[in-house]
Amino acid sequence: MERAHMKRGMAILTMFIVLVGYLGCRRKARRSDVVTVYVSEDEVFSEPILRDFERETGIKVNAMYDTEEAKSTGVMNRLIAEKDNPQADVYWANEPIRAEILKQKGISAPYFSPNAEDIPAAFKDPEGYWTGFSARARVLIVSNKVSDKPRSILAYTDPRWRGRAVIANPLFGTTTVQMAALFILWGDDRATAFMMAMKKNGVSMSTSNGESADLVASGQFDFSLVDSDDVVSRLRQGRAVDMIYPDQGEDDIGCLIVPNAAVLIKGAPHPEAARRLIDALLSKATERKLAFADCAQIPLHPGVETPPDVMRIDELRVMTVNYADVARKMMEIQPFLKRWAGL
Amino acid sequence: MFVTAWAPDKHLMTRRFVLTSVAILLVVIGLLPILAMLARSVVVDGHLSLASCRGLFASGRAWVLMKHSLALSALTTLLTTAIGLPLGVLLAKTDVPFRRLFAMLFTIPLLVPPYITAVSWFDLLGRNGLLARYLSPSLAGTLSTWLFGLPGCVLVLFSTFLPIVMLLTMISLKTVNPRLEQAGRLVAGWFAVLKGITIPLIFPGVLLAAMLVFLLTLGEFGVPAFLRYDVFPVESFTQFSAFYNFGAATAAALPLAVITFLILAAERFFLRKKTDQLQPAPDGEWSLIELGSLRGALFALVSLLCLTIVIVPVLVLLLQSAALSTYVEALNRAGDSLLRSVVYAFIGATLLTLVGFLSGYAIHIRALSFWRSIDALTIFLFALPSTVTGIGLISLWNRPWTGFIYATPAIIILGYLAKYTALTSRITISMLTRIPPSMEEAAQIVGAGWVRRMGMIVAPLAKHGLIAGWLVGYIFCLRDMGITMMVYPAGRETLPVRIFTLMANGPPQLIAALCVVMIAATLLPLGILWATFETAMRGSDR
Repeated sequence: MERAHMKRGMAILTMFIVLVGYLGCRRKARRSDVVTVYVSEDEVFSEPILRDFERETGIKVNAMYDTEEAKSTGVMNRLIAEKDNPQADVYWANEPIRAEILKQKGISAPYFSPNAEDIPAAFKDPEGYWTGFSARARVLIVSNKVSDKPRSILAYTDPRWRGRAVIANPLFGTTTVQMAALFILWGDDRATAFMMAMKKNGVSMSTSNGESADLVASGQFDFSLVDSDDVVSRLRQGRAVDMIYPDQGEDDIGCLIVPNAAVLIKGAPHPEAARRLIDALLSKATERKLAFADCAQIPLHPGVETPPDVMRIDELRVMTVNYADVARKMMEIQPFLKRWAGL
Repeated sequence: MFVTAWAPDKHLMTRRFVLTSVAILLVVIGLLPILAMLARSVVVDGHLSLASCRGLFASGRAWVLMKHSLALSALTTLLTTAIGLPLGVLLAKTDVPFRRLFAMLFTIPLLVPPYITAVSWFDLLGRNGLLARYLSPSLAGTLSTWLFGLPGCVLVLFSTFLPIVMLLTMISLKTVNPRLEQAGRLVAGWFAVLKGITIPLIFPGVLLAAMLVFLLTLGEFGVPAFLRYDVFPVESFTQFSAFYNFGAATAAALPLAVITFLILAAERFFLRKKTDQLQPAPDGEWSLIELGSLRGALFALVSLLCLTIVIVPVLVLLLQSAALSTYVEALNRAGDSLLRSVVYAFIGATLLTLVGFLSGYAIHIRALSFWRSIDALTIFLFALPSTVTGIGLISLWNRPWTGFIYATPAIIILGYLAKYTALTSRITISMLTRIPPSMEEAAQIVGAGWVRRMGMIVAPLAKHGLIAGWLVGYIFCLRDMGITMMVYPAGRETLPVRIFTLMANGPPQLIAALCVVMIAATLLPLGILWATFETAMRGSDR
């Protein structure tokens, strides 16, 4: 009796191993009706776009979204962890720097989408490893109680605004990108001096751009450098703030533009479906949807319809930077930024 | 204790095979990931390096994190014990009105993910919260600042873990022989009896509850992450997810593992024997304290506490998500995640019941020479922060030939098994202590094999424990976020994870509605099963 049970146990174990092996092999079969995308753009804005893609193409989208706590880099780091065992087909980055890092680490693959032809070259990787679309601008959110509003990021060092300005932790997100861009544009010495002068002028540090925007909207600070979508969402909530595109004068540096980026993953399990998804992300239709959504992103294709509170890219004086250089500089200045932030 | 020495070898073979398999399973799903993580963090470019640890401790940040982690755990433990102990006594031993209802209500926060309670407090006290509409901007700002920090974290975790102390106090009180109290009452009042006899007798149980609260707070990720309070689990998650610094993530996890290990070792040496001795008291007249003139005042006090930490958070979420259309959108957006949560929790709870039953049995009858190691391992894994377990699972299973685990929901289920087996194992042990060993021995004498004895004698006799274990497993799997967040494959997220990812710029009313759905998903099945169980019990009593 006991031996019979033992035999039955062994038989069940063997069947389990065979089943597991079968499932393991079956997964390797490549399917064109599924695509896996890792997304750093906020789920609330990206999910409707992906659902539309599913509906229009019949391709099922498996998505993994980032959280605020991972500072929008959690899924990128899953991609790095999975370099030798890729699970994702596409990475939808919410800024091009992470896409550059993936290129430098050999995790992405080149793809020139036909839908990206009229996107300006400044927002695309020349080798096709990433392509930008729907951008945010780095803007000043200013309390509308302030009469003479700041027009430049240099206001952070102006004694007039002493103790009245706030900025998100420069170790994370688009504020890091902004700082790295300034280091490239101005050189290390001037950018370092600027940041030290900010500190001397009593700037406060928040945990995120969203918190900075709330602090200004509640009147605790006069202004902050944040993303354009942070301001538009507060404006649409009826909060007492204004949006200023900084440094728009003839000789000014312009405002930094931070596009989303679509990236094809090297060794993607579903390459055909991946290319179709990237084509869809880079389409004018997607840019229009993201312009009218609460994230209010600026289309990069010419001629895309936008709501009144979203500026067109050709109306702006844009900061000229090479995102690959920014990515490299970002890594280089991490120790300085950590010291600056007191970590 | 079971007598096993005389059992014939062939009967022992199956038992040893099955129980050793369970032990190996626990090592593979629990210990190996941790070892893989450690190995990966100290080997850099093929050489042994402790640079990550040195980096963390040299920067001084480790000491800030240590101070924060210990302050949060100590304050939460202090508060839950100071209030949970008298509350437990009040609800178990006095004639305060609606005692059973209060006990059930106070348990609710433990059943829902703690960060949902945090969301609710944020909706109430945040800068744009419900209360801010009626307060001056400066006062609203002060409240919000207070919430985002140590006081806010303590408030949320206090309400979450209060039931642990309260329930363990109530259970421990059942172990006190009423005759001792009656003897004391002959010469002193109830206050003196409680102080001199009852509380000292249940002290080991209360200490165990305090230790559990300390460890669970120490490993908590969701609440400090949401309320922006830097502690080791948040640092570990950020180092892994935001910086992809595996070494630093492990370094940040190490102090937690060390503290956990030390506390569990202390529990084993100083507390285990005393808590093992806590057995149900012999039948006797249960002494209920008549509160007299204090009854109304204490009832009001308990009601106020219940209103503040249980009713208000739920009400705030309901108010925030009042429109039906919000619920339609919530279900439209996250209906699939809800379904997945329930399915994973069902599978997780079932496997947890099975593995917990077998490991609990192995520990109880000391069937294997290393039974202490199985016990220590399950408890260590339970107390270890989820982020650490999650990182360990990724290090071990993220390989091309283990894709059938890593790229499927199996990785989540393995995480549940690693983390929560201690719960079902402990429930099994407490149930088996009530079954006379003679039952299994009698069956063994007449020739019943081990599998048959387990299936026809032990399991049916322990069925209440198995049901309770399954329910506890279901709740903990359903509310889990720490492990699932780290390891879930694309498109396979659970509802708690979905709520967390939607929090990034998601409309507050949608988040509130999803939180209400989450609470309902936890409490509804529990309510239905409890009602069924009660009806069945009444039927069998008749």
